[in-house]
Amino acid sequence: MDAVLIIQSLISGIMMGMVYALLSVGFSLTWGVMHVIHISHAAFGLLGAYLAYSLLQYFGVDPVVSAAVSVPLLFLVACGVYQLLIRPITRAKEVIVASMILTFGLAIILENVMVLIWKADPRVLTPTYASGALIVGPFYFQYPHLVGFGLSLVGITAIYLFLKKTYTGMAVRAAWQQPEAAQLYGVNLYRISMITFALAVSTAGAGGISLALLNSFEPHSHNLWLIYLFLVVIVGGVGNVIGTALAGLIIGVITGLAMAFLPYQWVNLVTFGLLMVFLIFRPHGLFRQGV
Amino acid sequence: MQKYRLAAVAIFIAMLAAFPCLEPEVYYLSFMFSVFMYVVLASSWNFIGGYAGYLSFGHAAFFGIGAFATAKVASMFELTPLMTILASIPAGALAALVGLIVGYPCLKIRGPYFSVVTICFAFVVELTVKNIEFLGGAEGIYLKFMDIPEKLSRSIMYEVMLLLMVVTLGVAWWLNRSRLGAGLRAIRSDEEVAETMAIPTAKIKIQAFILSAFFPGVAGGLFAYYLTYIHADVVFNISISILIVLMAMFGGGGTWLGPIIGAVILTVVNEGLSTFAQAEIARIIYGALFIVVTIFMPNGIIDFFRKKGSG
Repeated sequence: MDAVLIIQSLISGIMMGMVYALLSVGFSLTWGVMHVIHISHAAFGLLGAYLAYSLLQYFGVDPVVSAAVSVPLLFLVACGVYQLLIRPITRAKEVIVASMILTFGLAIILENVMVLIWKADPRVLTPTYASGALIVGPFYFQYPHLVGFGLSLVGITAIYLFLKKTYTGMAVRAAWQQPEAAQLYGVNLYRISMITFALAVSTAGAGGISLALLNSFEPHSHNLWLIYLFLVVIVGGVGNVIGTALAGLIIGVITGLAMAFLPYQWVNLVTFGLLMVFLIFRPHGLFRQGV
Repeated sequence: MQKYRLAAVAIFIAMLAAFPCLEPEVYYLSFMFSVFMYVVLASSWNFIGGYAGYLSFGHAAFFGIGAFATAKVASMFELTPLMTILASIPAGALAALVGLIVGYPCLKIRGPYFSVVTICFAFVVELTVKNIEFLGGAEGIYLKFMDIPEKLSRSIMYEVMLLLMVVTLGVAWWLNRSRLGAGLRAIRSDEEVAETMAIPTAKIKIQAFILSAFFPGVAGGLFAYYLTYIHADVVFNISISILIVLMAMFGGGGTWLGPIIGAVILTVVNEGLSTFAQAEIARIIYGALFIVVTIFMPNGIIDFFRKKGSG
């Protein structure tokens, strides 16, 4: 195989991977910090993509600008969802199971609301620069892909800095590592959980917009996205931001290469087969250390 | 007391078995067929998911393996109707064998990681079947159904599925009071402690997993014949896997009655909604149902009523 094709698919794999990473990082945090497996995470991401689609279609707002609107909006919505739905189930015997069933219901609702509003047809985000491309030597990068990649990079970096540098971020990490001790030091676990959840959902929104810049989407796309979320989070280690980012890149590169060299219908088989083998040998992720 | 209860169950089963004699519409026979089928699926999932707490999200794989094995054998050797129905038993055994092979490495993984590995397993099986022409490929497999009036043939399949349900629930009843069941419950509450108490955890997990793969396999075989056409998209659908889990947990995992109640309620609700409401609205109500039940009965319906009953 020629080197150009390999490098080209590697680079598009990395771009794809960064987007997976942004989409997954919140999923990883809610799972790690709150022990809530948020099945509707990808559906919220899709909601972000649809908001961007409508804003672009009717008001000509660029997807990156619309992220500035939909991310805070999703943050507020998620605070409400946490107070109304997630908080009551934290007293269940098995929070993980209860949260999975509940958010599965939420995902069904979101999916069908999206069908009602936007119809079931596949959509693409077509900003003004959609058809342009950056050409460097023999390589070829479409502008929307570059923008999606950039948005994801910014998103991941922001989350990382938030957790490392801000007081609230440190409280989130404390709650993840030592919930009891954190509480003794005056960390309000409910408040931290709400912030984690809302932050996770808003990053999902940004991730959804990024992914929509790379791929077409329809109301039930979130099911496939969800599988990728699980993939990335498990490989990266639950609750681990850097791990999630690296895992996103690894999985992006693997799928990128698989897409270039394998017949299309074998790509997913390879991905899931790999993940299965991976889980059997390294069930707690590639990277030991946390957040 | 025990005797009366057994008699009541026997009478109830006899009534169910006599239902086709009333000559109901074919619709009701099909509906009851799917209720029985989901009771089989949810109850057998419960062996590993409910009792041991190992939430398998890939049980559609066993259902699909049974379906494709039966369909392939039936269409290749042009089996008679009776033989096709019987062929679903070795198909179930094949599903159990796959359960053994996959369960051995996978059951070492705990918690949500086990759930994810089972999702992957289901995808791998589905994509393999889709990609290999011999196994059905993208086309699926057509079967020839019985050459008799529809009502009669549906009644026969109704009785066969009822029989499978009774056998499954019999096994579940036994499991509920056996050492195996007690061991699995111990694993669910604390696997390390169970191990220290000299419970052979690895062995009994595998046993439960094989049992919980066998019955869905048989059900898949019967379903394939019932449908007369099967496609990987239908029988391996991840929503079947999820639905099985939800039914069992909805009713109450780790109890005998829970999965039965969950399966019956959800099948009835699903059917009712899809007849009376627009598809999307029906799905939204369905989704809301999960939310409401989890908030008010976070540990399942059975648990909720038990607590109510005991004060």
